[in-house]
Amino acid sequence: MINGAAVGSAESGSLFGRWETRLKLPGLIILVFSFSLVQDLRLLPLLLLSSMIIYRLSALPFTCLVSRVRLPGFFLLAMAVILPFWSGQTILWQFGPLALRLEGCISLLLITVKFIAIFMVVVALFATTPLPLLTRTMRALGIPWLLTDLLLFSYRYIFQLSSDLRRTHTAAHLRGFKGISLISLKTMANVTGSLLVRSHQQAERVFQAMTLRGYGNGDQALPEFRPVVADYLLLAAAVLLSAAIVLAQIFI
Amino acid sequence: MHIPDGIISTTAAIGGYAAAGGMTWLSLYKIKQKYGNPRNGIPRAALLTAAFFAASLIHIPIPPVSVHLVFSGLLGVVLGWFAFPAVLVGLLLQAVMFQHGGLTTLGVNACLMGLPALMAHRLFCLRSLFGRRKPLPNAILAFLAAFSAVAAGAIMAALLLIYATPAYFDAAAEKTAVLTLSFAHLPVALLEGTFTAMVVLFLLRVQPTLLEADQK
Repeated sequence: MINGAAVGSAESGSLFGRWETRLKLPGLIILVFSFSLVQDLRLLPLLLLSSMIIYRLSALPFTCLVSRVRLPGFFLLAMAVILPFWSGQTILWQFGPLALRLEGCISLLLITVKFIAIFMVVVALFATTPLPLLTRTMRALGIPWLLTDLLLFSYRYIFQLSSDLRRTHTAAHLRGFKGISLISLKTMANVTGSLLVRSHQQAERVFQAMTLRGYGNGDQALPEFRPVVADYLLLAAAVLLSAAIVLAQIFI
Repeated sequence: MHIPDGIISTTAAIGGYAAAGGMTWLSLYKIKQKYGNPRNGIPRAALLTAAFFAASLIHIPIPPVSVHLVFSGLLGVVLGWFAFPAVLVGLLLQAVMFQHGGLTTLGVNACLMGLPALMAHRLFCLRSLFGRRKPLPNAILAFLAAFSAVAAGAIMAALLLIYATPAYFDAAAEKTAVLTLSFAHLPVALLEGTFTAMVVLFLLRVQPTLLEADQK
C-alpha cells in the first residue's frame, strides 16, 4: 500500500537531485504558482514545454509520472464530464438535451494543461527530495518545529500503522472476517479503535525513550547549506521563467 | 475532497494559504496555551495524522460506487486544537507521496478539512453538559461531529469549485451543482458519523483518556 522508496528515489543522480534543497523548494514553488496564474490560452504551450524540460532534467522515468497521476486524475476526469456540457452559453454541438459548450471546452483545456504542467514540476520536486531532507529544509526555511516534528513522526507512523494494519487484517481473516463492507462496519470500527489504542501506547513509549535520549533539549541539526554556482543558476532560471509567465499574462 | 493543482484560481489558492497560515498560527498558539510542553502531544497527533493519511486509501463499497473515509471528525474529537496542524501535515504527506491533492491547493484543502475538524471538536466538547463517560451522549455527539464535518467540508468544496474555477455556470446550474455535490456526500457523511460513533464507544470502553483532548 505504501512505498517509502517512491520518495527520493532519484535524489542522487540527476541535476535536480543535486540542486540544493533550500533553493530548489522556493524556486519551484514560485514556478508552480506562476503556472496556476495563467488564464491566456496562448501561454499554455510555454507551460507544457517548460514543465517537460524540468521533468527531463529530473531524470525520472515516465512510469513515475503515470503511477502518480491516478488519484488526482479522477478529479480531472470528473471536471471533463461536467465542464464541456454545463459551463457556458455558446453551443458548439447539440444532441437532444446534451449540448457541447465552447466556454466549458476552453475551461477544460486550461485546467487540464495547467494541471499537467504543475503535476510534472511537483513530481520532479518531491521525487528527487527525500522526505527527511525536505522536513529539515522546511525547518531551515522557518516553518515552526511543531509542524516539522509532526511531519517526521507522522511519516514514521505511516509505516508502523501500515504494518500493524496488515497483521490485524491477517488475524481478522483467520477468524473468518470476509473483508471490508457495510455489514462489517462495527468490526472495522473496533479494529480501528484497537489499532489506535495499541499504536498510541507504543508511540508514547517511543516518545518517552526519545525524550530520555535528549529529544527536545536543543535545536535539531539543520542540513548544511553549501550551494554551488549551478544551484543559483537553476534558481535564477526558475524565478526568471516565473516572472516572464506573470508579465506575459498581465501585458499580452 | 482533495482539490488538485491547476483547478482553482491563483487568488483562491493564495487565499487558502493565508487562511491556513492563520488557522495554523491560532492552533499552535492554543496548543502552547493548553500543553505545558507541546511536544507531549506530538505522538498522539502524529498517530492520528498517519491514520488520516491511511484512511484515504481504504475504500468501502456503497453500491454502485465505493467511498473512502475522511476521518476529519475523528481527528477533531481526539486531537482538539492539534487537528488543524494534523490535517495540514497529512495533506502534505499525501501530496508528497502520492500527489493526492496538490501543492498550490494545500492551503485550500487544509481549510476544507481542518476547519470542519475544529468544528467537530467544539461540538464534541458539548459532552461535558451531558456526562463525559455516558455512552449515549458520547455516541450521538461523535456522530453529529463527524457527520457535520463531512457535510461542511462538502458544501465548502462545492462552493469553492463553483466560484473559484474558470467555469461559467448560470444561477440555476450553480444551485443544482451545489445541491448535487452536497447530496452526493450524504452517504459518506452518514457512514463517517456512524463509524466515528462506533470508534468513540470503543475508546470510551477501552481507553477513555484518548478522548480527553478538551481536558488538557
